[in-house]
Amino acid sequence: MPESKGRPGSAGQRPTGGDKAVATQKKQYFRRKKVCRFCVEKVDDINYKDVKMLHAFVAERGKIVPRRISGVCAPHQRRLTDAIKKARNIALLPFAASI
Amino acid sequence: MRIYESLFIVKPDTPDEELDQRLEQVRTNLTAGGATVDKLEKWGKRRLAYKIGKYREGAYVLIQFTAGPETVKEFERRLRVSDIILKYITVRIDETLKRLEKRKKDRDKRAARRAISAPSSPAPAPPSLAQQMTEAPAMPGLPKEG
Repeated sequence: MPESKGRPGSAGQRPTGGDKAVATQKKQYFRRKKVCRFCVEKVDDINYKDVKMLHAFVAERGKIVPRRISGVCAPHQRRLTDAIKKARNIALLPFAASI
Repeated sequence: MRIYESLFIVKPDTPDEELDQRLEQVRTNLTAGGATVDKLEKWGKRRLAYKIGKYREGAYVLIQFTAGPETVKEFERRLRVSDIILKYITVRIDETLKRLEKRKKDRDKRAARRAISAPSSPAPAPPSLAQQMTEAPAMPGLPKEG
């Protein structure tokens, strides 16, 4: 499999949530395997005060982006949702944004 | 004793002097309850993600302190009663800090171990790569000979 060879950065890491993408190999198009941003960048703490970072994982309407789309691994997604919910409580992020 | 962090939103129309005075009051109240204030940070005015009451923006204040659970209860009650505070959130962070410290220590240890093993590993690596390079052209030639 060419995908597993092409990513030397995460060689020692556990498989992230993106392994489903491999299952679509039979189809014509090639889908790049998603990797967890927090694992790659080695982010230790997902803090609710870091609005800039959290904004990347919130959709336009203020919804939390599912990990099947963002590619975040399960342990990090758990921390991320916690952080987003805390940030919502203190008005750093919207519960529902108007567009 | 536990470490807590509290972030609260103060009404944006509060004068600066009054805010400082109120914060000083908060600090004295906390120390009177047996807590120690580790950090007090004013973020300044920020736009709120949604309207709170009639306010579209608020002044954020972050305070970190070490206290027992009873003191926190009293501290939160005071925030609730206060007329200038719109919203607050108190988070216990001592376990998070502990976890972060542990992860950092583990990472440093691993980095140190890698640094020790690194000088030995790159030395054999380049020759093997060079060998591959020289052997590779020879390989297709073998079946022809045979």
